[in-house]
Amino acid sequence: MRTKRIISAGRSLVAAAVMAAAAALGAPGAQAQAKSSVSIGVVNDFAGWNPYADSTAQMYMIWCQTYGCLGTFDTRTGDYEGILAERWEVSKDNPNEWTFYLKKGIKRHNDGKELTAEDVIHSLWRNKNDPRTAQANNTRPVTEAIAVDKYTVKFITSQPTAPLLAFLFDRLIITGKDLYKKYGQDVDRKAPWGYGPYQVKDIVVGQRMVLEKNEAWPGIKKENPDRLIFRRIKEDEARVTALFNGELQMAQFIPPHLVDRVKSAPGVTLKSTSPVEVMFLAMNPNFKPWDNKKVRQAVAYAINREAIVKAIFRGGAEVLHGPIGPGQYGYSPDVEPKYAYNPEKAKQLLKEAGYPDGVEIDFYTATNRYINDRQSSEAIVPMLQAVGFKVRFHTPEYSSHWPLVRKGKRPFYYQGRGSVIDPSAMLVQYFGTEGTPRIGYSNPKLDALLEAQEREFDSAKRQALLLEAFNIVQEEVPAFFLWRIQQHYGISNRIEFTPMATDRVYGLDILVKN
Amino acid sequence: MLAYVIRRVAGTIPVIILISLLVFMLVQAAPGDPADLLLSDEATAEDVADARARWGLDQPVWVQYWKFLTAALQGDLGTSFRYADPVLTMIAERLPATIELAVVSIIIAVVIAVPLGVWAGARPNSWIDNLGSLVGLFGISMPNFWFGIMLILVMSGILNLLPSSGRDTYGIAGDPITGFYLLDSVIKGNWRGLWDGLAHIAMPAIALGTNMMGILMRVTRSSVMEVMHEEYVTTARAKGVSERAVLWHHVVRNALVPIVTVVGLELGTLLSGSIIVETVFSWPGSGQLLISAITSRDYPLITGTVLTYTMAFVIINFTVDILYAAIDPRIRFDK
Repeated sequence: MRTKRIISAGRSLVAAAVMAAAAALGAPGAQAQAKSSVSIGVVNDFAGWNPYADSTAQMYMIWCQTYGCLGTFDTRTGDYEGILAERWEVSKDNPNEWTFYLKKGIKRHNDGKELTAEDVIHSLWRNKNDPRTAQANNTRPVTEAIAVDKYTVKFITSQPTAPLLAFLFDRLIITGKDLYKKYGQDVDRKAPWGYGPYQVKDIVVGQRMVLEKNEAWPGIKKENPDRLIFRRIKEDEARVTALFNGELQMAQFIPPHLVDRVKSAPGVTLKSTSPVEVMFLAMNPNFKPWDNKKVRQAVAYAINREAIVKAIFRGGAEVLHGPIGPGQYGYSPDVEPKYAYNPEKAKQLLKEAGYPDGVEIDFYTATNRYINDRQSSEAIVPMLQAVGFKVRFHTPEYSSHWPLVRKGKRPFYYQGRGSVIDPSAMLVQYFGTEGTPRIGYSNPKLDALLEAQEREFDSAKRQALLLEAFNIVQEEVPAFFLWRIQQHYGISNRIEFTPMATDRVYGLDILVKN
Repeated sequence: MLAYVIRRVAGTIPVIILISLLVFMLVQAAPGDPADLLLSDEATAEDVADARARWGLDQPVWVQYWKFLTAALQGDLGTSFRYADPVLTMIAERLPATIELAVVSIIIAVVIAVPLGVWAGARPNSWIDNLGSLVGLFGISMPNFWFGIMLILVMSGILNLLPSSGRDTYGIAGDPITGFYLLDSVIKGNWRGLWDGLAHIAMPAIALGTNMMGILMRVTRSSVMEVMHEEYVTTARAKGVSERAVLWHHVVRNALVPIVTVVGLELGTLLSGSIIVETVFSWPGSGQLLISAITSRDYPLITGTVLTYTMAFVIINFTVDILYAAIDPRIRFDK
C-alpha cells in the first residue's frame, strides 16, 4: 500500500514536472491563455529602439506597423495602399507639390493623442536629421513640408519625382512630435508609442522584438495575432528546427537546400514569393577589357542561365530578360535584345573585340550574402572560360568587398539589388552618370531618359520611356541581368499568411486559426 | 605575496595599452568601411561623408587613437557606430550571458571529466579507462559548431525536448537583477524561469564544454597516473590507508595543479569558442556582439569587446597563478 502511494506521488511529481517543462518550453504565451501569439524567425541584426537607425526591409517592416508610415506597396495587388494616409495626390499645376490626406481619428498608443500633420513634418525632419539616421536618402527628393490643416500635409520636391511613393511608403516612419520634444533622443526607449496597428513592447538587440496588437486600430480583426514575436535566428538549421517543433509559426528565408525538408514536414507549409530582388553581373567600363561593349555582350551570350536556375536554384529563381521582370513596375516583354545562350556568338564577339586568344579577367562574388551566391558564380566561371575568358575567381567577405564596389573599384562582380518595385532608383543608382560610382557607366542618352521618366506622371508615357532605357542597358550591357531569386517561407498551418515579395510581414496580414 | 600581486597588476597595464593600440590599428587596416556598410544601399557619397565626419573617421588614425586612449582611461570606451549606445554599457549588458554560459560549461566539463579522469587514471586499461579515452577523444575532436547544430537537430528537432535557440522564453524572466538569468531566477524564487533558463542553456553549454571536458579528462588521467607512482602513495598504502582514501586524499590533491592550469588555460579557449557557439544558438552574449561588430566594422565596439576579452584572459591567468599557491603549499611567490 505504502509503496504504491509513493509511486503514485512520484508519478504526479513527474507529471507536474513535465507540465512545467511543457509550459516553460512550449508555445510562447502559454501563460496568457486567451492571447494568441505568433513567433517569426528572422535573420537580420538590428540596431535597437531608434526607428531611423536601420535601413533594412526587416526593420522598415517592424516600424511601419508600429509607429506607422503613410502607406505600403502591396505586392499581391500591385498597388499602393494607405496606412496612415487616406489618399494622396500630385498637384495638376505643379508636379513638385504632393498632398497627403491623413486618416482622421488615428489615436496614438498609450496616451491616445491624435495623429496630425505636424507629426508627419516632424518625422520628415527626424528622418533627415536624426544623428543616427540611415534612411535620409529616402526623403532626399523632398525639400519642404507644409501643414495645410490638421490632417493635410504638403510635400515639396526639388524636381518632379514620379516614383516618390516608392521612396516614402513603407519607409518614412511617423513618430510623435510632442514626445520628441519631451524626451529628446531618449524618446524611442522611454515612449515607443506610435500610431500603427501594433505596438512596440520589447526590443532586445540580437535576440527579439515583441509587438502587441493595438485594439483601437480601425478594422483590426480578432484573428490577427495579439502578440508578434520576431526572433532573430541567423542559423538556418536552427530556424527551420524551431519552426518544426512549434517554437516558431513562421520562418523567413529558407535556403534552397532545406526547401524539401520544409515541404515534407507535417503541420508546415512552404510558400514562396515572386521576387523583387534582381541579380546581375556588373562590368565596369573603366577597367579593361570591360571598356569594350563587345566583351560585355560576350559575357551575356556565354552564360546558360536556364541551366543554372534549374541546377543551382532548383527552379527557385526566374531568368530575367532585361533589368526587371513581370510584376515590377514598367516591365515589358518587348525589351530587346534578350541574349539567349549562344557560346559561339560569344567567342565571335571576343574575337571581334580584339581578343582572339581570350582575355584574363577577375571575377568577384562576396559569399553568404545572397542565396547560393558562391554556387551560382562557380557555375558561371566555366561557362565564361569555355568562350575564351581566363577567369580568376575571387570570393571575398562581403564586409570587405562592398565598400570597394561602392567606390567603383571592382571591375566585374555578382550583385543583387533588392526592393525593386519601381526600377527608377536602381537604374539611376547603377547606370546614371549622377548615380553611384559602382559601375562607372556614363551615357548622356540614358541619363536624359532616366530624368525624363522621373518627371513623367503619365504612367503609359513613363513606361514607354523606361522601356527605352531598358533597351539601352540591354544593348550596352554595363550590367548583365541574370535572374530573380524566390524567397521561401515556412509557415505553420496554425496561421494563415501569404508572404509578400517585399518581405514585409505585417500582423494585419496574419490570421490565427483556431 | 602582496608584492607579487602588485607587480603582476602593474605588468598588465602596458600589455593592455599595447593590445588596444594593436586592435585599433588592425581594425582600421582591415578592408571595409563602416560608413559603406552601415548606410543604406541607396546612400550617396554625401551621406557617407556625413557619417564619417560624425564618427570622427575623417581624422588621422593617430588622432583617433589618442582620443580613444584618453577617453578609455577615464572609463569611456566610446560609442558604437551601429547601436549608438556607449560601448561599455553594451558589453555590460551582454557579458553576463557569456559568463553564465561559460560557468555552466565548466561545471558540466569538470563534473564529468574529473571523476572520470581520476577513475581512469587509478585503473589504467580497465573498461572505465577505455570509456574515458573514448569520451576524451570525442570531446577533443568534435568541432563545437557542428556538434551544436547536431544537438539542435536531435534534441529540439527529432526529440523536441529542448528549445532550439535563444536564452529565454519571452515573458517568463521578468526584470533582470544581476543579469545572470539563472541566478536572478533563484533570487526571485521564479522556478519556472529557472527551468526555462536551464532548458535554454543546456545545449549551448554542452556544445561549448565538450572540448574542455575531453582535454580535462585526459589531463586528469595522466596526472593521476603519475602521482600514483610517487613514493608517498606507496608509503600511505604501506601504512594501511584504504585505497579509496589514498586516491582521494593523497593522489587527487597532488594531481590538482595541472588540472587547475588546464582549466585556466581552457577558459580562454572557452571564451573564444563561445563566439561560435553563441552564433549557432542565437545566444545574446558578447561573442555574438563581437561578430556583428566585425561584420559592420563598428570600430569602437570591436575594440571595446576585444579589450574586454583581453582583460578576461589577464584576470584568468592571474587567478590561476594565485590558485597554485592555495593548492600546493610548496609554491610560493615571495622573492
